Amino acid sequence: MDDAVGEFSEHLLNEANARNAALLHEVDHRVKNNLQLIASLLVLQSRREDDPAVREALATILGRVNAVAVVHRRLFQDNPLSFDVAAFLRDLVEDRGGGQVVLRIDAEDAAVPTASAAPLALAVNELLTNAVKHAFADGAGSIQVTLAKENGRLRIGIADDGVGLPVNHVDGFGLGIVRLLCRQLKAEFEMSSAYPGVHAVLTLPQSVQESAS
Amino acid sequence: MSVTDPAAGLDVLIVEDEALLALELSFIVREAGCNDVGHAMDSQEALSLASTLHPDLALVDVHLSDGPTGVDVARAIVEECQAVALFMTANVKRLPEDFAGACGVIGKPYSDKAVRAALVYLAGCLHTGRASGLPPVGLQLAPAYAERWGLGAAPLAS
Repeated sequence: MDDAVGEFSEHLLNEANARNAALLHEVDHRVKNNLQLIASLLVLQSRREDDPAVREALATILGRVNAVAVVHRRLFQDNPLSFDVAAFLRDLVEDRGGGQVVLRIDAEDAAVPTASAAPLALAVNELLTNAVKHAFADGAGSIQVTLAKENGRLRIGIADDGVGLPVNHVDGFGLGIVRLLCRQLKAEFEMSSAYPGVHAVLTLPQSVQESAS
Repeated sequence: MSVTDPAAGLDVLIVEDEALLALELSFIVREAGCNDVGHAMDSQEALSLASTLHPDLALVDVHLSDGPTGVDVARAIVEECQAVALFMTANVKRLPEDFAGACGVIGKPYSDKAVRAALVYLAGCLHTGRASGLPPVGLQLAPAYAERWGLGAAPLAS
């Protein structure tokens, strides 16, 4: 009798687990597809716009959506609870490269908990977009992205060799986003003229990376 | 067959049940210098278009409007229509080990830039029979094709 009960509960448990796995898979699939749909809508609208300012605004939003999309493409790939920051940065750098701006990356292996993935991706995306957009007077130059572990903290650097910060620099919307996201991540953010160019550094506290990798 | 004539561009069939994604893909295909020859939303339509249009390349989503039929569609297009298939799916991990004879996969969500780069790269591979280098980020080659195009074992998808 006990055996029969045990077998029956095991059967129920297995069924529930299989259902949960299928459900998780379905949700993951839907999220990825819907992000794809949002990105495609932005590109489609952009193709129909003649006004360069509108096209640029749409391209900026598309960049943000793509940053979140890259996060979702990479989530659940290996460890379901950690997010491979180095692989993400390589993806992002490759996606932004190819124009007159040369992008280089030097990244140590490092991971953060998945909950930090999207805000971190968005913050790095803003800094990289800013550098590409504002650093170079004639549109050409180079940007170096670095990822290093330092005293148990995670340090992400974005350095360009462009014109530097303007004298009376005021944060735009993009940098506003970066500061908000850093508060959320409990990360430090510094940005300064580096003669040449601008050097932006994000430093993530130990608590964000310790549970990963 | 435009595979032999690089200037003519690849003839590409789009097999995708999301109408907006298919529309956007048709733009990308043309921007990459390829020809957008047709669009199918289910497996039957895909196979009938593939056999009448003789595309060089078919972009195949795994989930079509008649269910998860994309894998069988790719296999049939490769075996019966001698076209090259490329998966575009959010389910990269669920593809069979042999990629159903397809040359590789682009994981969703993809960026328009990544798809353009992949198409240009694949057009080069198909024209010359060799890869010009490692595949661009976002494109993962099937082991058989990586070997055929001189990359040895398939490069690890990072």
